[in-house]
Amino acid sequence: MINTKELEKRWLKYKTKSYLLLLFIITIVVLLIYGGYYILYKLDLNIDREKNIKPTADVKMVKDKNITVTNLASFPTPIKKDIEVKSDDNIVSLSPIIPIVDIDSETAKSKTVKKVTPKRKRVKKRLVKAKKSNYLTPDELKENKVTNLKDKKKKINFKTSSSNYIEIMKEKFHKNRNPREAILIAKAYYRAGDYKKSEEWALKANNLNNNLEESWLLFAKSKNALGKQEEALKILIAYYNKTKSPKVKLLIEKISSKSI
Amino acid sequence: MRRSKYSDIKNIFIDTVDNDNFVELESTIFNYRILEESLNKPLKMILLFGKPGTGKSMILNRLYHNLKVSREIHYFEAPILSEKEFLKNIYESISSKSIPQNMRVNFDGLLKYCKQLKGKREIVFLLDECQLYSEALMEKIRLLSDTRVVKFVITLHKTENEDIIAKEHFKTRIWEIVELKNASMEDLEVYIQKKLIKKGYIEVANMITQKDIKFIHTYTKGNFRETNKFLYVIYNIYEYYDIYKPKKIMGKKLSKKILEMAAIKIGYIHD
Repeated sequence: MINTKELEKRWLKYKTKSYLLLLFIITIVVLLIYGGYYILYKLDLNIDREKNIKPTADVKMVKDKNITVTNLASFPTPIKKDIEVKSDDNIVSLSPIIPIVDIDSETAKSKTVKKVTPKRKRVKKRLVKAKKSNYLTPDELKENKVTNLKDKKKKINFKTSSSNYIEIMKEKFHKNRNPREAILIAKAYYRAGDYKKSEEWALKANNLNNNLEESWLLFAKSKNALGKQEEALKILIAYYNKTKSPKVKLLIEKISSKSI
Repeated sequence: MRRSKYSDIKNIFIDTVDNDNFVELESTIFNYRILEESLNKPLKMILLFGKPGTGKSMILNRLYHNLKVSREIHYFEAPILSEKEFLKNIYESISSKSIPQNMRVNFDGLLKYCKQLKGKREIVFLLDECQLYSEALMEKIRLLSDTRVVKFVITLHKTENEDIIAKEHFKTRIWEIVELKNASMEDLEVYIQKKLIKKGYIEVANMITQKDIKFIHTYTKGNFRETNKFLYVIYNIYEYYDIYKPKKIMGKKLSKKILEMAAIKIGYIHD
């Protein structure tokens, strides 16, 4: 007969070993799965970061060309409105987009920025040089008629480019249906004095995203410019009650005091 | 101390070459028939070839017991390594005469004696463990078989390195080769079940599940000798528990723990 006591001990040792091995294998598998998941997750993050970085780069270009292109422009369908709204929140946090929204505040900001960045100083210098050329003497003007003509041509080109700007922006809007582009178009029309169109485009922007304050402001401004002061105030007051925005308050005051 | 039923069960699996212990399996029956048919053909030598524990001796033994009444057959269970002794045994078996101790058989004389019997008699010799015979003796066996009076059925171990050498060595001399292989899982299950049921242990046979057979087959690789050894150890442990700790073997199935303990004991599993 076999001495099972000793055999039982050996069996216990074997079992412990096999369980430990099993535990080790499970741990390795879990670690591999977790590691794989972690790497994938990390990679996703990197992709997201890249995605987030891209818009800022685009905006820099936009600054130069006075054209807005956002990474969210590829969501034209109403179903994806929610996504746009969320992404708008992100855009708000990205300051380079803001210049498009408010020119007054931006000009004020850009002045301070210009002081800081050396590149802009160079631009300033160039402008100063251009101004100097405006103060040429009549004799000098006579001598430089040809060059003046060139300057005139340049001005014409500028005008055409500004009108082209609306067309380009419209094209972009039709492609992307980005409410911010609609705002820019509305703003351009407002500047050009076409308040009817400005109102129309502000409304379009608002229909796409009613959280964009600028669309409310432009709509109200356009209404006011079209002589519909009461309507403009009603809209602004309703919006102010909801958002308590100081900008809206300021516009209400301006329209009420007819100082706009 | 009371006697356990497992004392008898474990003895079923003691490895013996006994005709009563022969278990008819699909594969063994098939090989046996080939061997039987070969004996009826005018062949000189038949080789039963396979790894140790594949049942070569068992088939040879069965063949002897089944044919000893119907034909002239002699079985050399243990190899006779001395040439003198071997020739003496061959002569004594053919002539049914015993040779005095101080006398020896002359091989040429034996050949002549055999040639005289041609057409009158056909004697079959079953030689087990032929890998132990010398080449010179094997040559003499071949010459004897050439007389067509003596027919040899020889068994040969097949080992990893020797199988090709063995085949090469006998290829020119042997006319029929029957190769025995390890049992499949199905065959092994039948083998164990039949062995137990044959002795009346139906309940014990029913305790063995497919999973247990798989476990046994994994370690024994279907080798009958290894299987017998494994089962002997299993029931040896059962015997201990049955006497001292019967509560531990109350289950209706074969205990996995005991199976593993037996595997450790034999050395299949290293603790």
